[in-house]
Amino acid sequence: MVFNTGAALLDAIVLAVVSLDAGGTYGYKITQDVRQVIDISESTLYPVLRRLLKDGCLEVYDMEFGGRNRRYYKITHAGCAQLNLYRSEWKIYAEKINKIFYGEKKA
Amino acid sequence: MTRKEFMQRLESLLLDLPDSERREAIQYYNDYFDDAGPENEAKVIQELGSPELVAHTIRTDTCENGEYTEHGYEDPSSNRRQDLSSVPLPESLKKPNLWKAACIILLCLILVPIIVPIFMAVILVLVSILIGILGITVGIVAASIVLPLSGILLIGYGIWRLFLLPGVGLTLGGVGCILLAVGILLFILTVWIIKVLLPLCLRAIISVIRFPLRKAGVVK
Repeated sequence: MVFNTGAALLDAIVLAVVSLDAGGTYGYKITQDVRQVIDISESTLYPVLRRLLKDGCLEVYDMEFGGRNRRYYKITHAGCAQLNLYRSEWKIYAEKINKIFYGEKKA
Repeated sequence: MTRKEFMQRLESLLLDLPDSERREAIQYYNDYFDDAGPENEAKVIQELGSPELVAHTIRTDTCENGEYTEHGYEDPSSNRRQDLSSVPLPESLKKPNLWKAACIILLCLILVPIIVPIFMAVILVLVSILIGILGITVGIVAASIVLPLSGILLIGYGIWRLFLLPGVGLTLGGVGCILLAVGILLFILTVWIIKVLLPLCLRAIISVIRFPLRKAGVVK
């Protein structure tokens, strides 16, 4: 992709991906899901997840899976609120960019 | 490098971090390898790059002015950044080529005896064309005033002669009419010259004079 993904956009994408699984999801799956959309390296996501945890947007719990403990990430209420903020901000941003790129849409 | 070597190296690189942070990072990447499955181990190691790179991204999380790109986390202070602005410019763009400049100056010196006369000739031709156009214009303007006047006089004279010598009178009157008609046409032409052509010419002359000045300003 020619456009770099800023920290806020990456946060928003990760929050959106995690919110898709109500029961929570795990690091590898989050990485694969995010990589469906944007081309980031596999090592990028750990700092993002940790920051979102620190900010209280995500919570973790460990659950037994295949004879080992797997760490699951789940979106919190604060995370949902943050994601909604990102969504509305993105809508405004995308509309402005679209207007510039493709001209005013005739209603 | 195997998964075990990768994780051992990563752990040793994170030794200076607080215990809890190091354990969390190690658990994350152990989970990551487990979930990717043994069949993807080599691919994951290749994708992650090196333990050093992973350790770097774990640390940079506190740094705020970085940016996530397809190459991972990149902050401007780090020299790993590789984007269009840091791609080295070709040598020819970076430094003015002294040899090239010297050659151009030399060429100019050699060509001065040829260029100067040509330049003068071009200027003279342009000036004479300009004077010619000016002369034609003045002629048209003068004719557009004189012709209708003489036309009117001739018509008047013709009418007076009509009573004495009808043939001569009619001829004079006719010629007067023709003169008047041509004069009116020329007058219309004059008005058009003053209204349209004159501002156009002035603008053209001004832009011709300004062109080298503007160029010089840009080149500077």
